[in-house]
Amino acid sequence: MSQIETFYDVMRRQGITRRSFMKYCSLTAAALGLAPSYVPKIAHAMETKPRTPVIWVHGLECTCCSESFIRSAHPLAKDVVLSMISLDYDDTLMAAAGHQAEAALEETIEKYKGNYILAVEGNPPLNEDGMFCIVGGKPFVEQLRHAAKDAKAIISWGACASYGCVQAAKPNPTRATPVHKVITDKPIIKVPGCPPIAEVMTGVITYMLTFDRLPELDRQGRPAMFYGQRIHDKCYRRPHFDAGQFVEQWDDENARKGYCLYKMGCKGPTTYNACSTVRWNEGVSFPIQSGHGCIGCSEDGFWDQGSFYDRVTDLTQFGVEANADRVGMAAAGVVGAGVAAHAAISALKAAQRKTQSKNEDA
Amino acid sequence: MSDAKLLVGPFNRVEGDLEIRLELSGGRVARAEANSPLFRGFERILLGKRPEDALTITPRICGICSISQSMAAALALADLAGARMPPEAMRAAAILHGVENLCDHLTHFYLFFMPDFARAGYAGREWHGQMAERFTAAEGSGLRAAVEARARLFHIVGLLGGKWPHTLAIQPGGVTRAPTRRDRIRMQADLRQSRAFLERALFGAPLEAFAALETPAQYAGWETGDAGLFLRAAADLDLSALGRGPGRFLSWGAYPLPGGRAWAAGLWDGTARAADPGLVAEDLSHAWMLGATAHPMTGETLPDEEMRETAYSWCKAPRYGGQAVETGALARQAVAGHPLARALAAEPGVTARIGGRLLEIARLQILLEEQVAALRPEARFMDRVALPAEGEGQGLVEAARGALGHWIRVEKGRIAGYQIIAPTTWNFSPRDSDGTPGPVEAALVGAPVAEGEEVPLAVQHVVRSFDPCMNCTVH
Repeated sequence: MSQIETFYDVMRRQGITRRSFMKYCSLTAAALGLAPSYVPKIAHAMETKPRTPVIWVHGLECTCCSESFIRSAHPLAKDVVLSMISLDYDDTLMAAAGHQAEAALEETIEKYKGNYILAVEGNPPLNEDGMFCIVGGKPFVEQLRHAAKDAKAIISWGACASYGCVQAAKPNPTRATPVHKVITDKPIIKVPGCPPIAEVMTGVITYMLTFDRLPELDRQGRPAMFYGQRIHDKCYRRPHFDAGQFVEQWDDENARKGYCLYKMGCKGPTTYNACSTVRWNEGVSFPIQSGHGCIGCSEDGFWDQGSFYDRVTDLTQFGVEANADRVGMAAAGVVGAGVAAHAAISALKAAQRKTQSKNEDA
Repeated sequence: MSDAKLLVGPFNRVEGDLEIRLELSGGRVARAEANSPLFRGFERILLGKRPEDALTITPRICGICSISQSMAAALALADLAGARMPPEAMRAAAILHGVENLCDHLTHFYLFFMPDFARAGYAGREWHGQMAERFTAAEGSGLRAAVEARARLFHIVGLLGGKWPHTLAIQPGGVTRAPTRRDRIRMQADLRQSRAFLERALFGAPLEAFAALETPAQYAGWETGDAGLFLRAAADLDLSALGRGPGRFLSWGAYPLPGGRAWAAGLWDGTARAADPGLVAEDLSHAWMLGATAHPMTGETLPDEEMRETAYSWCKAPRYGGQAVETGALARQAVAGHPLARALAAEPGVTARIGGRLLEIARLQILLEEQVAALRPEARFMDRVALPAEGEGQGLVEAARGALGHWIRVEKGRIAGYQIIAPTTWNFSPRDSDGTPGPVEAALVGAPVAEGEEVPLAVQHVVRSFDPCMNCTVH
């Protein structure tokens, strides 16, 4: 096993201590929702397995996924993950430029044939033979096909690679096309979101590197551990939804009180993501906590569902999936009915209270 | 070196894709053409959408300056409605925007610009060892520290804006989150850590000392911190003579606050002049775009799918009063009247551009501290804004890289026209119908290219000194 170094070798070379390494293994286990008994397993895997190389390419995109990634939650996680992937190819962070960079890409593909993970940020635009996104003189779609041919698996970072995102919004001027519609013969894991949460990105990539397999996916191809629940399920404003207390205008008193944003167009009820649990920018907050509704950026087609401020009613594009997403499809109706029901219940309760206090007065 | 042509690109460590075509003569660049090979069509996607959707769509033009886009869209909608944010909301929005700009400057210096000095091509220079330790791409100690400092600063955006990138909290009527007293204390703690990083690593001295520099000689004599390390290399390589821009600087003015913009709008070409957005026009003669030269309020985005021979970029060529202008931190500080920036603007090369940015880092940190301290949590942070079904609006802001404008036209409640001119559109514009090159194209002329140098270091320095954001350039 002298050919490729192990993850642990790489980390040691980057100056990461044994103590930090063990801490990282615990963090990873926790982030992935694994029992403490997995910590030694992760450590063992990282000490003995050859490092899986990662090639990171960029198509039609805004680099927000990289931006999110490099400010991943725990500085240690970022350091470790960066040390694992930066050695190969990433055109936002790497040292090489121009032809050297292209040569580095070729070399990595050649050296790790069939063994590397291809991480794709952005997507290929197919109109006019792909000329709207040119990398190294060639359409990005060619680089993508070329790099995908010998990849073990592909990660589609973000809404662009997974679904198309706003650049694919009607009329989709460049025919921006998600990765899985271009590459059809490789396992693809979608990590949607605009961008995805940093912890989700490091979690997914660490899982794949550590266990050398894809995590459990839902039927849309998203890792179930992070996309198994709706934002709404764990939203801290949920009690206000249940109580029928809603923000009606940006500037009303209810907004200040932090009531539910459903009527302001919040897509939390139909969006599967970890924002309300993992949160953003090192667990500081998430959009709903800042007083703005969720726009549903981890769901397919979120950009073409009418205005972002329209209330959730008929999201027919969702619901491809059996369990989680079936609920998603139904949620449209349920939410509508639910609001009415909650309002009715609240009214009923209020009435009861009134009756009660009357009785007490009497 | 004999006359030759050289294609430099793809550039890495920039946001988005960039290619530069060089014609060489006598070992120097004789002519340069900047090409943005990435086009997404945001201005077309916005057509027919509801105006408020611009708040969600336009930030997604760019993952690094998304708050700048969000701010420009919010101001354009406010202008359309004839509204204004309440004073404290302006302050909260300025804090959000200022933090993003400060982080962008740090990213530029540590992740994008400085790693070129750690390249093998400079081995043997007295400063190379130290550079390699601090700035080797993806590994240097300075890079790690900067990424960490930046992540901490973004807690502030997290607090006020929920998430970064692609924050949604800025609306035409204000900000969706009214910060609490607790938020204010947490922001102050984050800013203290940021100041500590800047004073320890970047400047090696109090920020106020750097912000008080007045002459290029004082600046060149700065010895401490990573700034001092840069200046040592810059003096050795004579970077102040390299990459001279057009010497005309535009700023739309940064950070609208209750008492006006913190840093004034204007044009600086040795004399301070007022900036008139009416004088802006986009020339399409060398862009793969169809249509006539037009002001952004009437302009269109019609890609030329034939990609005609006479053009070479997806980027339009914005001109101010018919002239190419440079924009960015140096422009902003010179227009705002800082003596060092004004003096550096007279010798507008690589060293001056980095100086403008360093100066702004120091001044922006101080400005943010003042604004957070002045924030009154009990005040109003949102007013109701009704968008009219017909009308026009413009939103002018300063992104980290310079002047950013959004121009919106609404008919029957839907977007009928939306044009965006980003900082890098100004700086990396192609030639106009007179053949006048864009600022970067002009700045590259004369840059030395050694025999056999495939990735000319001088060219890298010049291009990166502008901090290109190609995602924004062509959107």
